[in-house]
Amino acid sequence: MNVVVCVKQIPDPADPGALEEDHTLKRTGKLILDESDSFGVEMALQLVDKAGGGDVTLVSMAPNDETSGLRTALAMGAAKAVLVSDPALAGAGALDTAKVLAAAIGRVEGADLILAATESSDGYTGTVPEQIAGVLDLPSITFAKHVEVADGTVSVQRQTELGYDQCESPLPAVVSVTAGVVEPRYPSFKGIMAAKSKPVDQVTVADLGIDASAVGAAGAGQQIVEVTPAPERQAGEIIEDDGEAHLKIIDFLDGLKVL
Amino acid sequence: MRFAFTEDQLFFRDAVRDLLDKECGPDVVRGAWPAGPAGAGARSPAARVEAVWSRLADMGALAVALPAVGDGLGLGPLDWVLLAEETGYAALPHPFVETACVAAPLGVAAGRVATDLAGAVVPFAAGADTFLLRRGGELVTVAAAEAQVSPVAAVDGALAAARVQAGTTGGRVVAANEDVERAFDRGVLGTAAQLVGLSQRMLDLTVAYVRERRQFGVPVGSFQAVKHRLADALVHLSFARPAVHRAAWSITHDRPERGRDTSMAKAMASDAAREVGAAALQCHGAIGYTVEYDLHLYLKRSWALAAAWGDAGWHRDRVGHAIGV
Repeated sequence: MNVVVCVKQIPDPADPGALEEDHTLKRTGKLILDESDSFGVEMALQLVDKAGGGDVTLVSMAPNDETSGLRTALAMGAAKAVLVSDPALAGAGALDTAKVLAAAIGRVEGADLILAATESSDGYTGTVPEQIAGVLDLPSITFAKHVEVADGTVSVQRQTELGYDQCESPLPAVVSVTAGVVEPRYPSFKGIMAAKSKPVDQVTVADLGIDASAVGAAGAGQQIVEVTPAPERQAGEIIEDDGEAHLKIIDFLDGLKVL
Repeated sequence: MRFAFTEDQLFFRDAVRDLLDKECGPDVVRGAWPAGPAGAGARSPAARVEAVWSRLADMGALAVALPAVGDGLGLGPLDWVLLAEETGYAALPHPFVETACVAAPLGVAAGRVATDLAGAVVPFAAGADTFLLRRGGELVTVAAAEAQVSPVAAVDGALAAARVQAGTTGGRVVAANEDVERAFDRGVLGTAAQLVGLSQRMLDLTVAYVRERRQFGVPVGSFQAVKHRLADALVHLSFARPAVHRAAWSITHDRPERGRDTSMAKAMASDAAREVGAAALQCHGAIGYTVEYDLHLYLKRSWALAAAWGDAGWHRDRVGHAIGV
């Protein structure tokens, strides 16, 4: 079974982020694998292991030719990667990201299942997986907490507020994976060394037959007009304990609807 | 000549850093302390403390310098010096230096290794599977069950230190003559790298603290006395780190000056750790003396390691001897 995993390389969240003049996130330095994608990679590796054969292929896009984040996922055990790398992609919105990733997935032969994270840790639009399914005209299941594949069908436990829905879909399909549902393996040193020689198919939007003016800031159809810092945390309310303070705490918790 | 680390070496470091960041927080370090007043505070159960070691083994981090057959990668000090630094940063409560840096290149792959090369008090002796011991001009390995282990109260409770006695016969000879000195230098280098990592951790903790702690309406880190103290600490650390990397290069290439460079590294790293540790403790104020607060886990490890494998004075003498003064 062949599984494609959509992954995003993002600036390290541990470093303070900076914005470009057009209010988009600066992506010039080293990029790392988005942690929320590591769950999809782990799930894909487990599914391929269980199926007894096949490959995990990564699909990613970036405005520059950075590959260090991909290398982490290759070191975990993915076989190869397709990286769409083009300056024209700077400032891409969710829909043109989906169009580009869908075209890149088209380069992977015999993809049975396409996994993605529910949302990226830098953009948080949470719409790309379903848009990819829309562009490719494939069925899509969201918020997967458990995935099984058998006889050309994918069975998914789809997380809900109250528990989970049991869903099924014929393959190929697009499934978005909830963060934290599997424990991503740490890349081994041998995996890290082997990852260097794994193929990374680096393509431009033109190679995918996409008009560069239809993607990136030019094709996003939207513009970030203003960015304001999150408001500073306000000081809490101080209650003098006159013997009745516990009642005020109960009122407070009641107001939060946690009681 | 290339002075920077290779892409692989940096990837190894990042992988170990990520693992230790997730699996070896201060609660895990404290979990390795004996329960009691000195080990009070948030502590992980023993299973989590053990899991760090097996995860490092699964990753291949312990076999990096093992001869390149089977699991071994046959790599050298330039490949593991940054890993030692990370294990210092995390105050890993396991014998990484003894096992992966000192014993593995001798072909010893027998679980956790503790050694008396560092001095008469053997760190991590209590949980060791194998002892690497000096006997005459040789190094022998002795199974833990065949040695007599007498625990010693150490400043760092996570070190589980002890005096170790084994018979005058038995065991397997794994090094002799100059190879004993090479093994010693690898231990010194690994410890110096850990001290650099520990210093970085104490500095990071302190910088974060003085940014948050406010007095007179401003963060205490904005006061010159605090800023300058921490800037001085950073200078010490920034001078020690390249000396450690230089020593790794000298040992990797088996240079005749490797002993001098290794001693220079240990002397500077020990001094830096003492300077940074003192600054960290002072800038934290009273909270720095609190056992439930994490600083002491790193501070006490740095005190223990500054004194182990030869203290700064001993290594300065060795440098002096090497350059003829």
